[in-house]
Amino acid sequence: MNDKVISREKWGVAVVIDIERKTAEIKDLFFTELKKAKGPEDLEEIRVRFLGKKGNITSLLKSIKNIDPSERPKAGQLLNQLKEEIELAIRQKREALLEAFYQKEEEEDAIDVTLPPRGRKWGGFHPVAQVMEEVVEIFASMGFTVAYGPEIENDFYNFEALNIPPHHPARDMQDTFYTTNGLLLRTHTSPVEVRAMRQMGAPLRIVVPGKVYRRDNDPTHSPMFHQLEGLLIDEDISVADLKGCMEAFANIIFERSLKVRYRASYFPFTEPSLEMDVECVACSGKNPECRICKGTGWLEIAGMGMTHPNVLRAGGIDPQKYNGFAWGMGLDRIAMLKYGLDDLRVFFEGDLAFLIGGRQE
Amino acid sequence: MKICWSWLKEEVNFKIDNMEHVVERLTETGSEVESIEKPVPLLKGVVTAKVKSIKGHPDNPNLLVVKLDTGKGEATCVTAAKNLRAEDVVPYAPPGATVADGTVMAAREFDGIVSEGMMLSADEIGLPDIADEFGILRLSESEKPGKDIRPILGLDDYVLDISITPNRGDLLSVRGLAQEVAAILDVSINELRPNKGFSDSGPSTSDMEKEFKGITLQDEGCSLYALGFADNVKIGPSPVKERVRLSLLGMRPINNIVDATNLVMLYLGQPLHAFDYDLLPEKEITVRSAREGEKIVTLDGKERSLIPDDLVIASGGIPVALAGVMGGENTEINDSTKRIALESANFDSVRVSKTYRRLGLPSEAAYRFARKVDPAKVTIALSKTFEYLVKWKAARPLGQVMERSGEEQPRYVELTRKNLKKVLLLEDMDLASTILRRLGFIETTKEEDRRVFQVPSFRADVSIEEDLIEEVGRVWGYDKMESRLPAVTRKPGDITKRMRTERQLRNIAMGRGYAEAITYSFISPDLLKTLRIPEDSPLANCVTLSNPLSKEQSIMRTSLAFGLLKAAAANIRNGWRSPIRMFEIGKVFSLEDGTELGVKENLHIGGIVCLGKDSRFVWKEQVDDFFSVKADIMALTEAKGVLLEFVKGEYPFGHKGQSAHILNNGKVIGYLCRLKPKIAEELSLPQPVLLFELDLEVLERSKGVSFGKTNKYPAVYRDISILIDKGMPVEKVKVDVKDLASQYVRSVRLFDVYEGKGLPEGKRSVAFTLEYRSEEVTLRDEEVDKAHMGLREALQQKGYVLR
Repeated sequence: MNDKVISREKWGVAVVIDIERKTAEIKDLFFTELKKAKGPEDLEEIRVRFLGKKGNITSLLKSIKNIDPSERPKAGQLLNQLKEEIELAIRQKREALLEAFYQKEEEEDAIDVTLPPRGRKWGGFHPVAQVMEEVVEIFASMGFTVAYGPEIENDFYNFEALNIPPHHPARDMQDTFYTTNGLLLRTHTSPVEVRAMRQMGAPLRIVVPGKVYRRDNDPTHSPMFHQLEGLLIDEDISVADLKGCMEAFANIIFERSLKVRYRASYFPFTEPSLEMDVECVACSGKNPECRICKGTGWLEIAGMGMTHPNVLRAGGIDPQKYNGFAWGMGLDRIAMLKYGLDDLRVFFEGDLAFLIGGRQE
Repeated sequence: MKICWSWLKEEVNFKIDNMEHVVERLTETGSEVESIEKPVPLLKGVVTAKVKSIKGHPDNPNLLVVKLDTGKGEATCVTAAKNLRAEDVVPYAPPGATVADGTVMAAREFDGIVSEGMMLSADEIGLPDIADEFGILRLSESEKPGKDIRPILGLDDYVLDISITPNRGDLLSVRGLAQEVAAILDVSINELRPNKGFSDSGPSTSDMEKEFKGITLQDEGCSLYALGFADNVKIGPSPVKERVRLSLLGMRPINNIVDATNLVMLYLGQPLHAFDYDLLPEKEITVRSAREGEKIVTLDGKERSLIPDDLVIASGGIPVALAGVMGGENTEINDSTKRIALESANFDSVRVSKTYRRLGLPSEAAYRFARKVDPAKVTIALSKTFEYLVKWKAARPLGQVMERSGEEQPRYVELTRKNLKKVLLLEDMDLASTILRRLGFIETTKEEDRRVFQVPSFRADVSIEEDLIEEVGRVWGYDKMESRLPAVTRKPGDITKRMRTERQLRNIAMGRGYAEAITYSFISPDLLKTLRIPEDSPLANCVTLSNPLSKEQSIMRTSLAFGLLKAAAANIRNGWRSPIRMFEIGKVFSLEDGTELGVKENLHIGGIVCLGKDSRFVWKEQVDDFFSVKADIMALTEAKGVLLEFVKGEYPFGHKGQSAHILNNGKVIGYLCRLKPKIAEELSLPQPVLLFELDLEVLERSKGVSFGKTNKYPAVYRDISILIDKGMPVEKVKVDVKDLASQYVRSVRLFDVYEGKGLPEGKRSVAFTLEYRSEEVTLRDEEVDKAHMGLREALQQKGYVLR
């Protein structure tokens, strides 16, 4: 290149030398200017100055026609290179400036992410309703279908059809609310057993969740509470089948394998009758002072038994052909155990301090 | 049922004295032991002492100074009690001893004389009921001084409280429990040996028997009635140890005669009643139904008016006892009683139940008769009572008379291998037979696959094969049986539409900020007044409880609003300051003829929203109002594919201008309203309070949501602005716009409502944006303009003023 420049000087081709020097000068000038640019307006101004219609490079390009034709391609190439270099530099600078601009804007727009959420927070479920749903789903997975019945019942379905004739001492076990029109508030979900048998016949697998009422009101009893009744009628059913269902249920609802035990009991509508206890979910029987199991290590979970032939007959089912089992469990108690609650009375007050208080700031 | 461990041990020949094991077995086999208590556990260091001398206190006329022989020397006690004489044996708590309430004794000075500890009354021993007189408890004079009082009073014992199921009346006695315990532990029991001498019902010999005219069993309800006679009655307290036993078992000692009958009842389960023979109006007894309105004053001093359901024991036409429930005051044993007639009878469980329930008299006797008493115990019970009376020198037994109406036939029940195996997966008939025989059943037929058992007279609860299977199962132990899941699933299980609907609604409501509540189904009638429910309103058509716990919970709710409002008010009262958003899913009840039971039950979802006392919020904007709740309701129903219409309505408790009926297919299925400001104020609720309620039936039946099609061609939008009267519902205008719009209009959306400046008085402007779209072609602007212009003209023709 130096040789060429010297030879050109020798030949007195001043224009060529001019262009080479000129491009170098323009380049220097451009980069000095570019460095000073602060924003898109500065950039535009620079672009016009160098690449615009009357810009430095444009006028140099125009002067190419004045030089030696043999040198023109060379000069053109030189100038085009410069032009491209400048264009690229402007583009890059623009990107850099934009980046810096947004960077700054984001910094200015910073928020306090610890502020509370806008709108409404999640409301929250009632422990009993939630447990009811979960328990029903467990039994549905074992082939049970949900059945419902009236909460205001008559004596027949609540007592007589369940082998509890008038004046039977078992009526003392359940203090009953009566209505002025000769009905009663069902004392258990069992009346739906006979209703379902009559409607659907055998074989049958139902679970009945719902409210029941007894004339009790003390720290451990509420005059309204929730039960889940289950009934399975089929051929050749054993207490062993009942045990299997109940154990599967207990292990799923309490999310671990629990020890269980069975005690003989008495319900007029089952024969034999049993009660199932599970090991205390709080202390597993290890704390003699445990408030949940009162130190016994066991929790009563459900009353159950093989459906009494009189009840099958009341439901229109032949006890010679079919037998089955039924159980009843207190959902409120299961909810208390599952969620570690110890006061039943707050369940039905709609007390937000209880329902969502723990999650409120 | 309470029982003393010591009494049980007197009857059962335990191989090892292991109370815990017995308790466990009882609990397993159906008689749950609810508690085990050591009587007066704190009482310690109290000993017997003999009174040597009693002198007045030199400086205090109210006190006495007693010198005691404590067995280890002499002690001085100062007392205010006046019932002591020399040679009396008393409980003495020396310094360092602990009395029942935990007080530790110390020497104490009374007006210059030091009392070394204290002589104790029944109260201080912890058994106030065993007092037979005022003052210090006097023990038998034969007791030697210096002995620990606990064994002397029978306090080194345990009282078991056992929950006896209603079918096992036979376990309401020491003897019955002993039999059961022996059977479940496979040990023997002492034979019950009544003294034959007292159960003699041969020819009448004594004056009393000769004088007595007889027993008449007139009406049904008494299968067996026996009277035992005794004279030379000396009324007094029964021995202190027996009084302690009665007291520990929850019965108050009265006098030797009554105590003897009560002890026998506790022992055998046979209730007895003692009449003062000389007070019987006639020397005869008739067991009959009461006459309507007939009166008797029972032992508790209350006059009872009777009905023919009641069975009475009458004498000379006058009721002297309510059969099996309670005796009459007119023939009560008293301090001057000389001759007694002891009643031991078997009364019908239903008749006794009816009477004691109606009169609210659940006496120990009634409780047992209601659960059936073994008829075989009637005469044994008389003998046992006489034994006590003779032992205590309280009376001279003379003999007894008895009358029966019909004989109880023995019951036989069959047990088959097939059914034993089906229910218990047990095939061992010999094991079953052994268990049943231990329980008192007699095997009368023994075949390979079939046995027949005679049921013992005390097991009135056993009558079918299932009963026998239960006996085998419970004694054998259900824990020994395997567990399995029922084999064949004939149909899949299903939580059904109703529960699926509830689950979906719950989740939506919770997600929209509502807390789930469950409130009582019964409410106070006052709430109907508070909410201005008129008497002829369907909301006042309540089912009423005849025996509510309180007026507060005496009628069944006809709306969820009552409970939710009550809860909201309680929350505010209790200091809840944040916004309140609650929902409940539950049944409401109303009287309705033509239904199965005359009551209609509907499942509702209801909600309440109010701003709360402190609605300040960092984000300033209010998140709850009528229209936010409307959005919540629509979210609930749209998730089930149910479309709603809201029209202006009126509710007794609703704000006049801010209440809406919620309709589906033209049928009202609920409401949304703002609570009347006056009611809100009365309930101290921050305003506004919004209430809604929906019947879930439509949602349950709904087929669910439907979906749209993708758009193939672009839409063109045009706005339209209409001037309407202020009172005209926007929904009506929208319907008109839709009706008159061209077939290309896919949707009409309200985007602005304006009233005020620039508009005439009483007018408002509503603006809609219309989406024009074809499913076949791309609409050209001219086509849309033409259609839109057509709509404008049609609206104007209908009388609308366009802007």
